[in-house]
Amino acid sequence: MSGKMRILTSLVVIAIVAVALGIFIVRGPGPLDFAGGTKVALADYRAGKPTGVPAKLEKASLVERGEYLAKAADCMVCHTKPGEKDYSGGLAFKLPFGTLYSTNITPDKDTGIGNYSDQDFLNAVQHGKRRDGARLYPAMPYTSYTFMTDEDVLAVKAYLFSLPAVRAKAPDNTLSFPFNQRWAMIAWSAVFNPDTRFAPDTSKSPEWNRGAYLAEALAHCGECHTPRNLGFALDNRKKFAGAITTGWRAFNISSDKATGLGNWSDADLISYLSLGHAPGHGAASGPMGEAVDHSFSQFAPEDIRAVVAYLRSVPPQPSPDLPATTAPVAPASHKDGVTADARGKMLFAGACASCHGWSGESPVSPMATLTGTWAVNDPAATNVAQIVLSGTKRHTPDDALSMPAFGEAYTDDEIAAVANYVTARFGAKGSKLTAKDVAGLRKQTAE
Amino acid sequence: MATTLIINGETKSFEAPPDMPLLWVLRDILGMTGTKFGCGIAQCGACTVHVDGKAVRSCVLPVGAVTNRAVTTIEHVGSTPAGAKVQKAWLDAEVIQCGYCQSGQIMSAAALLAATPHPDDSDIDAAMAGNICRCGTYVRIREAIKQAANGRQS
Repeated sequence: MSGKMRILTSLVVIAIVAVALGIFIVRGPGPLDFAGGTKVALADYRAGKPTGVPAKLEKASLVERGEYLAKAADCMVCHTKPGEKDYSGGLAFKLPFGTLYSTNITPDKDTGIGNYSDQDFLNAVQHGKRRDGARLYPAMPYTSYTFMTDEDVLAVKAYLFSLPAVRAKAPDNTLSFPFNQRWAMIAWSAVFNPDTRFAPDTSKSPEWNRGAYLAEALAHCGECHTPRNLGFALDNRKKFAGAITTGWRAFNISSDKATGLGNWSDADLISYLSLGHAPGHGAASGPMGEAVDHSFSQFAPEDIRAVVAYLRSVPPQPSPDLPATTAPVAPASHKDGVTADARGKMLFAGACASCHGWSGESPVSPMATLTGTWAVNDPAATNVAQIVLSGTKRHTPDDALSMPAFGEAYTDDEIAAVANYVTARFGAKGSKLTAKDVAGLRKQTAE
Repeated sequence: MATTLIINGETKSFEAPPDMPLLWVLRDILGMTGTKFGCGIAQCGACTVHVDGKAVRSCVLPVGAVTNRAVTTIEHVGSTPAGAKVQKAWLDAEVIQCGYCQSGQIMSAAALLAATPHPDDSDIDAAMAGNICRCGTYVRIREAIKQAANGRQS
């Protein structure tokens, strides 16, 4: 080998190593790597059954089992446009580089997935590959669903195929270059899709393993609650540390005591997941409200407990921008307490006080209590502004209170004023939202 | 589903789904039409009733959320001390024009006086801001609340 060749070869080797190292660093650990125990193949795990359906459905039909799993995976919320038939797609995801539309996953042969074979369906759900060979964008959380067993994925398929076929073609995506190049997802997938099935951890309890399967493979908590890395994939170094998704803040659900779930009791977590509300912690709204209504509220009680056991084990990740403690109850009289934003106060008196009260403890329902919620204690006021803009419509429990949307009634300036007033009065630190911030939040919100 | 409520001191049982707004129960099931439907989204105050003595908007309140809590409506508020004073002042000051919003106005005013017997202008603003009157009787409403608080006629 000549000297030149040797140098060239060395350069190529260095480049390959650098790229590989770069990918390795960007990719970071997998979602379950924090647990650190010995993993075994599912078939070799004898201590319990972490996959499939809860015991009460063990003898149920394939379709019924698939229904439970489809709800646990929360397929419907993304694959249904509000007001349209369930699973018929067309929901818009507004991204900074264009709009993505979810697909019709009813068994319609022309516009849905009616022609999908079992293998086609597995390819889509576990590998992000469409029947025609095109790659899916990771808005479809196949990097989470990839942990599902074939059996469970195909049960979901059986359920979807039991539903009425709906003829509905989603609008074409409007992504800009280079994001409209689907083939590029081949490389993305190669780096960021673990493409592996769930492997139980023998150092953990059967309940933990069940919880890990539910939270990672099905409920895909991390897709909203874990920050993303340079490649828009989940950065599990900051697992469950919280992130902004579709304009809403998904708060820290790591075990951090101050800003995560470390100080929540088991009863609080069970209540929040199964009812969408926990005393002193507020109510689930926005995307989490939907997750509770359509997914967690349908979980078997033992599955909720398993998710809680799993969440408890996720290492603490602080959220430094949040206060160490949430603010106490505000004074009962409108005259006492923070009244810096006069305009915000005027709006609050007219539009908000009758349900939320001046103290932040609702005279109507604990679901409308603001005191203790992260939304009002977040100095960025992201979720306060979002809830004011789009309201909340909760379907569970039966007596759940909903809030009207004010986005069409108030200007960005007014919404900023009321959000700043609310966070100052009921939270630890008032926000400084401007009309421009609110306009930005409007743009990010999915339909 | 059978629901039981304590309305104006009486226990009433009826069939209604738990997510039905209290206003619908009052007007359509129990025939108590004194409480008015205005906007349906808690923004006008016409549907105001008291739950445990506090003024709330019944149009967005699921009936399941008020089971076993004391509900007072315009039909009965005159039998509370604050409500009686407010109703008298309302007549003395000739507050009402078209009248549609007034049962809600009276309910909010009565809850205000029960909690704050001598409200100043800012208290009145804070308590009454959510009750809208298209006839513009606000000046007379403010005056009547002050009369009710002071027990005098202008």
